[in-house]
Amino acid sequence: MTIDDVLEGIRVRLNLEAETEYDVVEEIRAHLEQVLDDARAGGGDEEAALRDAAARFGIDEAAGELHAAHLGRGLADGVAAAALPVLFALVLRWLVFAPGGSAGDWQEVLARPAFWAVAVAALLVPLLRFPRWRYALASWAFFWALSIIFFCFPALRW
Amino acid sequence: MARQIDQLRKGTTTMALLKLLEDVGEPLHGYAIIQRLEARTKGALEFKEGLIYPTLHRMEQEGLLESRWLGEPGTRRRKVYTVTDQGRRRLRRELLEWETFSDGMGLLLGLSEART
Repeated sequence: MTIDDVLEGIRVRLNLEAETEYDVVEEIRAHLEQVLDDARAGGGDEEAALRDAAARFGIDEAAGELHAAHLGRGLADGVAAAALPVLFALVLRWLVFAPGGSAGDWQEVLARPAFWAVAVAALLVPLLRFPRWRYALASWAFFWALSIIFFCFPALRW
Repeated sequence: MARQIDQLRKGTTTMALLKLLEDVGEPLHGYAIIQRLEARTKGALEFKEGLIYPTLHRMEQEGLLESRWLGEPGTRRRKVYTVTDQGRRRLRRELLEWETFSDGMGLLLGLSEART
């Protein structure tokens, strides 16, 4: 039995998004490596120490609890990553663009402080909200895409 | 009896973890937390290692703890935990509740006299 064997037994039962699963498995790896370090320091049998640690860990129960602890977090972050840019793009559409929703002069729009206030908020709020910065950047990119669409297509005035 | 103790322990794990981390005053990783918990109880309480980690993760999601990784990717990294201000407030509240509860049970069971 190796540490990887134990971790595989946990990993297959976690059923989480890849990044969360990686973090959880790495944390448990550090735990098991410490167990082996202590066994080596005490002159004990490493394989026996690892078997004991795996038994103390309770792979099935631990994997179930870890799954329950993280369930839905990735989904919630994904939904928020999609909803926040829509919200900010709508705020921009109603607050900054010409009242009729027309394209107008784009240089004039860029000169408005309100435009930059909304754009900065559209980046800062996701950065503070999401533990992973990639979600924040994707959210910001989506915000810009929606804003440009609102800006360029007069048919979207409403 | 063992089952009763186990149920009581489960209900107080959050408080125990917050108290330990606040007392230690430095970031600890999961293995160190488990060892110190058992040392503090002198082995009277056994904390299942596989259940400590989910509890730590839930506490972090609730804002009671914050964590960071020590070490670079590709080397041996450890995730260490510290108590947040929100965690300290929760600890104070739970300690007060525990004190009230244990005093009440002591009186109920005739194990202690009422405080004047």
